[in-house]
This record gives sequence, C-alpha cells and structure tokens, in this order.
Amino acid sequence: MGEDVIKEFLEWEVKARELRRRMADWEFINKQPPRIREALKYYIEKGDLYVASRIAGLSIEEFNELRIKARIPNVA
Amino acid sequence: MRREFAIADTCFLIDWSRYRRRDVLFRLFRTVFVPENVLNEVKSENVITWISEGLRSDRLTLYTPVSDEVEEARELIEESRLHSQLPSMDLPEALCLVIGRRRGYIVLTENRAALLAPKLLNRYRNVEVWRALEVLLNAIRYNIIEPDCSNPRKVFDEYCHDTLHIFPSKALNEAIREVEELCRRT
Amino acid sequence: MQEDVIREIIEEEREARELRRRMADWEFINKQPPRIREALKYYIEKDDMRLAAKLAGLNIEEFRELLRKARIPVVV
Repeated sequence: MGEDVIKEFLEWEVKARELRRRMADWEFINKQPPRIREALKYYIEKGDLYVASRIAGLSIEEFNELRIKARIPNVA
Repeated sequence: MRREFAIADTCFLIDWSRYRRRDVLFRLFRTVFVPENVLNEVKSENVITWISEGLRSDRLTLYTPVSDEVEEARELIEESRLHSQLPSMDLPEALCLVIGRRRGYIVLTENRAALLAPKLLNRYRNVEVWRALEVLLNAIRYNIIEPDCSNPRKVFDEYCHDTLHIFPSKALNEAIREVEELCRRT
Repeated sequence: MQEDVIREIIEEEREARELRRRMADWEFINKQPPRIREALKYYIEKDDMRLAAKLAGLNIEEFRELLRKARIPVVV
C-alpha cells in the first residue's frame, strides 16, 4: 500500500511540474536578474515556495507575488 | 567508507564553484546541505546558478538551522575566543560545526578556525572537517577523479589555478604522497 | 599533545602569512581607495575574510574576487 501511495505521489509531481513548465511566462522569467530567474526556475522544477524564496532573497509573500507575475501556477 | 551527507559554508562554495570539476562533489555525497545564510551571502550569477541547479537536482539541500543550533554556535564562538591560538570564527562557520557535530555531517569549509576546532575543542573532536584538499583527495580515493600518475600533484594544482587557493605545504605533500601510493598499487 | 597542535598551527599561520605577503600584487593594493587597501592589508596579516570584507564594505563573495585581483591567495 505504501508503494501505491509513493507511485501516485510521484505521478502527481511529474504532472504538476509539467503544468508549471507549460504555463510559465518564460519571456518574463528570462528577463529577470540571475537570482530571481534561478529562483523561478527552481520553483517550476520543485514547487517549493520556501526554498525558492530563499534563493530569490525575498519573503515568501514577495516570492508568491513574483510567481503570479511569472504566471506559474501553484499546483496543490 | 563513503559518507552520506555534508554541510558546506559560503567560503567553501564560492571557491569550489569555480573549480573545473566542481560536480565531483555531488558524487562524494548523497546530498550536500547548504545553510540558509549562504544564499544571503552569495551574489554572483555563476555561484547562484550552480547552487540553484544543485538544489533543483537534490544534489544540494537547503538547511534551516533551529534556534538551539544557533545558540550552541554562539557558545562555540565564545569558547573559540578563549583560545588565543585559534583564528576567529563567525556564526556561519560555527553553525556548520554544530550541525556537523549534532548530525554527523562532514563540514566543508575554508575557514581555518573551523578546521582547527576539532583539534583544540574537546566537544567537537569527532567532527570531520574537510577543506577542498580533503574533498579532492577523497574523490581520488573513491575513483571519482582519476589521478595523473605521471604528475600526482596535478589535481591539486588544477584547483589552485582555478581558484587562486594554496594548500599548506605539509598537508599538500601528505596528499601527494598518498596519491603516489595509490598509483603504485594500481 | 595540544602543545604540538598549537605549535603546528602557529607554524602554518606563519607560512601562510608569508605566502600572502609575497604573492600579493602590492602595486594593485596601494592604488586602492583607503578602505579597500586597509582591508586587503588586514586580510594579508590576519587571514579573516569575513572581517576584512566588512572593513572593505563588501560582501564575502565580492571580497574574495578582490583577493584574486590583488593576487592574494587563500592559504588553507
């Protein structure tokens, strides 16, 4: 049963990542300064708002605003 | 025996990120933890990009210290100030030592005080502290980097060239002797 | 045994300081604004990068880059 849960979780992670990649405004992302750009790319891959905000040097709230500007969905 | 985890401070990462074979680090450890303060201290595109790529691929993992780790780090700084022979240690390095002690991680640093602390401070005597020299030597021991047996110091010289970092002669000579011995055995 | 360790530490520090003094680009150092110049000189003598960076008014990465420009090696 544990294996099923893990399998389901991993499949969900893959779908969520694909969605974030597809919906993101890459033109906006690639125009950002390096730290912000890397933080957004990190968020797209991992969906981890906290770590992404640390990379960006922003508060979680500030980064969340940025995520919205970059049109990256919070898939939860 | 290969170790699973390490924790790296800023001074290690900013030099190591310039090394031509920097990704060998990720073959030595399951993951390398990066304390949060490192992200505050790192500014250049090269280092930020490398760290971010590492975080994305789980080869690096962010470490958020808890308050009693920070408290122990402050105690460690005070204790280090009681030893006049010890160079000064700041909070980031002290935190890495504390985490190394509590969690058994190898501490990656270029801070001399952190390097010497296990030799002088009883509480930290079991903490393993590596600088780039030890990382390179272990990469050779575990066949992650193949040494040039016709020039056993080459791997170390490459690092020095890429980073403008010099290893103390005694430690370097010991490392070279070990590489020569490994070469003789193969 | 601790005395041996301390003796070794002192000897290594002396060797490192000599190397920093000898390899430094003193022409470059002496051309720097006072704050930077003093921070570099401090670092050569004391090997404390964080404090030297603060003296220079730079972050640690910027100061490390400055050390390279001044040809001052990190000896560890």
